[in-house]
Amino acid sequence: MKNFIAGFFAGTLALIVGVLGYLRLGLLDVRSDAAIPDRTARFLYSGIHASVRRTAPKLQSPLPQNDETLIAGGKLYLNDCVGCHGEPGKPPSDFGATFYPPAPQFSRVGTKYSEAEVFWVAKHGIRRTGMAAQGSSYSDPKLWSLAAFISRFPNLPPHVLEEIQQKPTK
Amino acid sequence: MKRFALGFVVALIVLPIVCLAYFSLGFSQIRVDAKPSALETAVLRAAVRASVRRSAAGVPSPPAANDDDIVAGGKLYVLGCQGCHGDLGGPYQEDNDLYPAPPQLTHAGTQYSEPELYWIVKHGVRMTGMSAYGPFYSEKELWSLAAFLRRIDKLPREMIEKVRQKKAG
Repeated sequence: MKNFIAGFFAGTLALIVGVLGYLRLGLLDVRSDAAIPDRTARFLYSGIHASVRRTAPKLQSPLPQNDETLIAGGKLYLNDCVGCHGEPGKPPSDFGATFYPPAPQFSRVGTKYSEAEVFWVAKHGIRRTGMAAQGSSYSDPKLWSLAAFISRFPNLPPHVLEEIQQKPTK
Repeated sequence: MKRFALGFVVALIVLPIVCLAYFSLGFSQIRVDAKPSALETAVLRAAVRASVRRSAAGVPSPPAANDDDIVAGGKLYVLGCQGCHGDLGGPYQEDNDLYPAPPQLTHAGTQYSEPELYWIVKHGVRMTGMSAYGPFYSEKELWSLAAFLRRIDKLPREMIEKVRQKKAG
């Protein structure tokens, strides 16, 4: 048993030294324009989702569930998110694809995150991705309207999409 | 001795599984608005540094840059980079909305060489907010940006003025 434990420790040490050595020698590929293997992508996305599910408080949006909320959120989305996450009715974002892992294209595939989870992610960001924390730029009510909009992709009422895509007739 | 080998192998198998499970089950912190530990920063920064040095070793040396190239690179910086990497001529302001935080190049400068900067801008850095700009810039633009970035914290004032001039003629 003693030998087993000694072996276990030696194995642990070997792993740590191995990983640090691998990194220190520059053997890890760091370019973000290499295609991400499907398995890696699934692993990363599902681990992130699991962490959000665990951390994000299950809050109810304080905003009324109506078209005004969706339109307010949609306008924010068009201003600040489409660059990476794709514009409704347009081809996927080229820019979003140049991140590793790539930015999910909400306007095409929607999201499996709940409204409260989208709110949380928009506010706090996601570590080790291009997703910045927006909490310092936007108030909570604004982020809730954004969450309402994003979490309803791709089933947004067509008149909401039309409304937000009307060019600046403010 | 057999027991020792068994323990060794079990560690090699069990530890990676534990790490993967820890992440898959959502135990890892993912929110941006907390700072990375000094250890994490040191290890990963060195890993990126070493990987870039290795990968960019094959990049040919840069065309000699003249002042016009540097100004052209500076204009690209103002348009495409300063939102995260610091306003040219502006005060130092840490950007903590991304994790890891983007280096504030205008004040900190960079330890990377021109070919390495060219490589980073072109290919991006995985698992950071640094995306790949290869699809959006020409080779000439990438090199002028690299020449500018190399000198970004040591530019004479008149160069900065030139870069910031709107439509110079």
